[in-house]
Amino acid sequence: MLPQVLLSLFIISSTVLLFVLLNKLYLKIGNPFLLPILTVTCITVAVLLIFNIPYETYMEGGQWLSKMLGPAVVALAFPLYNQRDIIFKYKYSIIISIIVAMLAGLISVVAFLLLFGSSKAFIYTSLPKSLTTPVAMQVSDLIGGIPPLTVVLVMVAGFTGAILGPVLFKVFKIDTAISRGVAMGSASHGVGLTKLKEYSEEDLSIGSLSMGLSAVVGAFIIPLISFYFI
Amino acid sequence: MDIIRTIAQIGIIILFYLVGEYIVSITGIIIPGSIVGLVLLWLSLYFKILNVKFIQKGASFMLAFLTLFFIPSTVAVINYPELLTVSGGLLILAVIISTILALVITGKVSRIIEEKEKQKKEGEHVTASSAKSIYHK
Repeated sequence: MLPQVLLSLFIISSTVLLFVLLNKLYLKIGNPFLLPILTVTCITVAVLLIFNIPYETYMEGGQWLSKMLGPAVVALAFPLYNQRDIIFKYKYSIIISIIVAMLAGLISVVAFLLLFGSSKAFIYTSLPKSLTTPVAMQVSDLIGGIPPLTVVLVMVAGFTGAILGPVLFKVFKIDTAISRGVAMGSASHGVGLTKLKEYSEEDLSIGSLSMGLSAVVGAFIIPLISFYFI
Repeated sequence: MDIIRTIAQIGIIILFYLVGEYIVSITGIIIPGSIVGLVLLWLSLYFKILNVKFIQKGASFMLAFLTLFFIPSTVAVINYPELLTVSGGLLILAVIISTILALVITGKVSRIIEEKEKQKKEGEHVTASSAKSIYHK
């Protein structure tokens, strides 16, 4: 019993330490490729593979961190409350655009996966791709997707926005704070937001609001769609 | 003292989470319990049932560590080598194309709504000023 407790404590403390250090590095440099979700995950996976440690052993400690995910999602109500003035200022353009983004993302990804002949499990896994990671994982779990694969796809959606977003905005003349913010926040969540910082403060606050709202809207719409249409 | 306050505030947030999970379990609705908790907390703050002072320290603390809490689940990717196969590659390709479409369509739609609203406001402005000029005559 005691060795197991010690093992759990060791896993928890080393994960926390790794996260704190790499998060500091990311905050200092600000490159989206240094996001702790990428760096910490890659290092942990590498360590497990090199020392031949099964994932289940790692989860002896990891499960305690995972238990805090649900309450942390609830805490997102705090920034959404702080942004309530922006919600009411731009209510029509933001709400309509978020729903448009959700439908465009869902319909196109399902269409492509059906075309490619992908399995149902993969389709469920892909549906929450545009939501912020913690919500995407919980939605994926709920509808029968594979949460860790959903996280990979969430990252792909985020980096697509962060890398191609500025080019697309230029080509298609998406040239205001509202349109850029809503598009990035609702299609490419937090990773995309790292790029919005380079435009203006207003871009960023509309982006983070759109990210939060589309997570809530998606958590209601995606389970409905997956149960009744697929 | 600050630490005790932060821990107590995290306790309040966990309470909202548990209420959310409870509501989902008794009603059978298909939404994550955490989202129900989020909506309840937002409404409580908005209708001043709960002062934001009672959660802001706890919430900021939890959000600072948000990424840490999902890393263990992300590491599970180790159990899914099929991501490196052709069907995994197609899955990633579908997500890239779909994200590009969502970005462009959303940006364009939002731009058009914004333009319409601006025209409407300018229209109102014009009628207001012409009304004024009539009044002056």
